Amino acid sequence: MLTLIKREIEDAIVLVLGAVIFTAIVITVWVSCVYRGMSVLNIGSWPTAAFIFTIICCVMGIWQMRTDRTKKISSFLLTLPVTRRRILIARIITGFLVILLVLVPITITALVLLQRFGPPIPLYKDFFLDIFVATFLMSFACYCIGLHNGWSSGKIASTLGSLLLTLIFLPLVIIKGISPQALVIVSLFIAALLIRTWQKFMTTSL
Amino acid sequence: MKSKIKYAVKVFAAGFIVIVLLSIPLFWLRLICQEILGENLPSEAKCINMQPCGLVPPEIENDPNVVYHSAVSVNMNTGALPFYGIINCFIAKPAFNNYFSEKNWSYFDKKLGLIVCAYAPRMNVDGKVTLAKAVTLYVGPDGISETKAQNLGRFVAPIVDTGNIHSASLVLTGYDRGLRCFFAVNLEKRVVTKGPQLSKDDFHKPIQIGRISGILRSEFNWSPPMTEVKDTNEKGDSARERKPVQSKPIINYTYSAGQYELVLDESGQIDLLDKETLVFAGKAGFLPAPQTLYDSKDSVTPKDLLDYDVLPLTLKTDNKYSGCFVKTVSREGTSMALAVFDEKGRMIKCDYTKTQSSSGKTIESSVAFFFFSPAAPVLTITRYLLENLQPPILSMASFVTADSFFAVAGHNALFILPNSFVAMSARRIDRTITAKLFLAMIYIILPSLVLSIWLTCKVARDAAMVGLSDKARFYWKIGTILFGLTAYITYRLTRPSITLVTCENCGKLRRPDMENCHRCGSKWHVPELTAPAWRVVD
Repeated sequence: MLTLIKREIEDAIVLVLGAVIFTAIVITVWVSCVYRGMSVLNIGSWPTAAFIFTIICCVMGIWQMRTDRTKKISSFLLTLPVTRRRILIARIITGFLVILLVLVPITITALVLLQRFGPPIPLYKDFFLDIFVATFLMSFACYCIGLHNGWSSGKIASTLGSLLLTLIFLPLVIIKGISPQALVIVSLFIAALLIRTWQKFMTTSL
Repeated sequence: MKSKIKYAVKVFAAGFIVIVLLSIPLFWLRLICQEILGENLPSEAKCINMQPCGLVPPEIENDPNVVYHSAVSVNMNTGALPFYGIINCFIAKPAFNNYFSEKNWSYFDKKLGLIVCAYAPRMNVDGKVTLAKAVTLYVGPDGISETKAQNLGRFVAPIVDTGNIHSASLVLTGYDRGLRCFFAVNLEKRVVTKGPQLSKDDFHKPIQIGRISGILRSEFNWSPPMTEVKDTNEKGDSARERKPVQSKPIINYTYSAGQYELVLDESGQIDLLDKETLVFAGKAGFLPAPQTLYDSKDSVTPKDLLDYDVLPLTLKTDNKYSGCFVKTVSREGTSMALAVFDEKGRMIKCDYTKTQSSSGKTIESSVAFFFFSPAAPVLTITRYLLENLQPPILSMASFVTADSFFAVAGHNALFILPNSFVAMSARRIDRTITAKLFLAMIYIILPSLVLSIWLTCKVARDAAMVGLSDKARFYWKIGTILFGLTAYITYRLTRPSITLVTCENCGKLRRPDMENCHRCGSKWHVPELTAPAWRVVD
């Protein structure tokens, strides 16, 4: 499994590096703003950054599936003692790790800044953790949309379809906020997308 | 069996994706209709003005020097923006409600069971009032300390007047829902006073103290009676040069309840709490029910209202509480009520948002909102049809749970719609439950039912054609009747995508992956062709 994950990361190295650069930019900008006097609680740019990131996640899902389809990676791997199930799990774990690679350092930075510059109210810490969970779930849901549609035959149709569905889905967080109900809906949505992707990937001829 | 489970899982997963992705655009379309309807509502239907307000004693109000009588006015915000979940997250979070400045904040620490409060004592240095270094205090029901001491006791679920914290007041009044008693915290003297515990048969369930308002925290405009101020420096007689009449209040006042604190009860009643004894001192009023499209219940609770606000008034003439103004906005955000209560909690006046039709007839704003403002009929019908694209089962759930959801939550509802026409009809009080259900089925969700039946016929025909089993077809029919468009889209996404071939026995299309034709039941075996005995020769 580790070899498969390593191979997936190597395939999506551009996106992984992009994620690292994105994280570095966000952290640098935030820290510099806070040191220049901006309140650590001023998280007005969070929705914009989160929106860009979720789109990137969707593109990553499409990228992984399209690369597999065009380069016949799964067809080749299946000649080795590997199952489709393991290939898909490795792919999903890779996406999961890339999302965490971006969100965990940003959240840790936020908590450190909050500890250092924020008001001594512990409720803010919970609030930042809520934001982390919500952003993670939304990003992962968009990644799953990319995975689901990326396996379709048409390149343009799958890309545009995924982006359209992402744009339809993202406002859910505006409508419902980051309430537990909203997170339950997003979690079920992720589960449904993974089931559909799983069935599609397992049954489609390579 | 395994393939049946797989198929069921596939259908449910696809169905959930479809219902989520369909509900979001429908939400935006409904919201656009609602926003335009709100925008088009005449401005006079969005506000209430009362003059005179009724709380000023007649001897002052009718003073011959008074040029403007006392007046109170409130406006209704018809926009839905403040009710988005994401904005609610920031507004409703306790952390954001209780933090006002670096030196002035408070929160309830659940682990400690203590209210942690920071405040900066005021110091008088050379006649100038300055704020000293902020002190953090830990407040429990049994005391107050600068450290987390054990002997402070534990609060269970306190509510504190956040308005007092905001205004840097040194006395906080609160109520603990677990201990069922009021308490007052004097930060300067570092004393906590506990009121008597409410008896078990006491119906009171306080939910807000002091500043009583809903999520919008909208402002009242109150003006006292005014007298004219004569400008002695006025020069020139020309009317164009003359300045507008300047006026000044005839009385002084404060927006407080004087010796009392206002307490809002879960039932919608507003009580007076004596600040000294911390016991109820009487009734201050109640939340008036705004008029709605259909006659709904007369008494409302905070849960039933999109917004509410209470403005207490104390006139400096006698420094006693004079009464209060109470504003409420209906669940749908289409109408508002303004009531004035005197110091004994008796309603003096009550008015509702209304407008005049072109024929001069007075129309309630809730009716004008849907039918009488420009383009309202078209938008109302569009909204009605959009609501009918929701699954019929969810429409019925909206009917059943019409009163169960908080009014604010209803504005960001995706699946069950507490503000839909079907839910509004469920809340009406002038019909029996059977009549309401009948009317809802006949008039309100009829398009939804018709659509569902039409889609069910299509699904049934297609399912027979693609060879789904009788059981599967039955489930699909039930599912489509209950879930309408959502079920139909799900069916199209999950139906077997097999190229059908012509059956040699019946001539209809049959599935090539089945042993028998699903139409006539014949097998694949074709009778062997026997060469005829005759021949065609030249």
